[in-house]
Amino acid sequence: MAEFRLPANSRIAKGITHPAPPGARALREVRIYRFNPDSGENPRVDTFSLDTASCGPMVLDALIQLKATVDSSITFRRSCREGICGSCAMNINGVNRLACTTALQELSGDIRIYPLPHMPVVKDLVPDLTNFYAQYAAVKPWLQTRTPAPPDRERLQSKEEQERIDRPAACILCACCSTSCPSYWWNSDRFLGPAALLAAYRWIIDSRDEATGERLDELEDPFRLYRCHTIMNCTDVCPKDLNPARAIAEIKKMLVERQV
Amino acid sequence: MPSRPLSPHLSVYKFKYTLVSSILNRFTGAALSVGFIVLVAWIFSVANGPQAQAHLQWLLGTPPARVFLAAMVISFCYHLVAGIRHLVWDTGRGLERATSQKSAWFIGILSVLLMLLVFYCIWAAP
Repeated sequence: MAEFRLPANSRIAKGITHPAPPGARALREVRIYRFNPDSGENPRVDTFSLDTASCGPMVLDALIQLKATVDSSITFRRSCREGICGSCAMNINGVNRLACTTALQELSGDIRIYPLPHMPVVKDLVPDLTNFYAQYAAVKPWLQTRTPAPPDRERLQSKEEQERIDRPAACILCACCSTSCPSYWWNSDRFLGPAALLAAYRWIIDSRDEATGERLDELEDPFRLYRCHTIMNCTDVCPKDLNPARAIAEIKKMLVERQV
Repeated sequence: MPSRPLSPHLSVYKFKYTLVSSILNRFTGAALSVGFIVLVAWIFSVANGPQAQAHLQWLLGTPPARVFLAAMVISFCYHLVAGIRHLVWDTGRGLERATSQKSAWFIGILSVLLMLLVFYCIWAAP
């Protein structure tokens, strides 16, 4: 059942305001969600003053700068800094995106950074993604075959067959889509969410996969698939410009088509 | 393991047209299920004879009931148009990011026009 209010231990308390660095030329206010599991206190939102003149262009640069110069305890995930690892997914000015591919310039007003929405918070901007990964594993994201492989070569695809899975297979599992979905917020225990369903679609339409029927059987469920109400937040936020909403609509179509 | 807080969701998330149009569709659908109880009551009153019908007719003519019926007309118009958009989506069309945002605006405008038409017909009726 949808619980619209945050639980008591999750309500945001008043945070700390850090003073502007001396000699700063171009200041911008950055508000960051903070939670320290060791303190026993509620989460809070701290306010920082960022000197954009001495900072790189991206939100990730701002986080690294503030961590290096103001508060070394700011905690966040990051790795590739070029939008391919999916580690630095967070909610920036109300929208889920990758901090490394979001320019400070494209954001208007103050910068507000929260962890991915409706997730258990490990620390600061680090959410617990255990359930998200388990859902990915649940769609069996690997090639399943019944027939023996050709003895002299790989299982080949035509160019067209590859192009069908080319986009869906580009998913980096950053969780921006699933955690932007209100249906996923209210039913993440039973609804697989856009990321896992996009992965399921990628294997259903793979010309080499021979478990299409079983895969569709697994998804034919009021919650696992049909909690998608085409809210479109997933497609709206995907940093790789993928379209989970259409993938889900295509799965729904296949489920109807196989009955006629 | 310490109890982990839940990260904020509704309070921080940006309400885009697509999200708002989906919420409105859900909201008007819920309102219409209340409206259908009134519709069933009206059908019952017709079956129960002229006296019962006159009684309910009087009740539905009171100002609060009129506001309620107007809300039902608005809900019905929006829910109808939004439902047609869902039918189009079910064929796999119109699901691109830009198209879905345009159609969110489109159904908003179309449903307002439909509401105006319905209200015009009500008032213009002899």
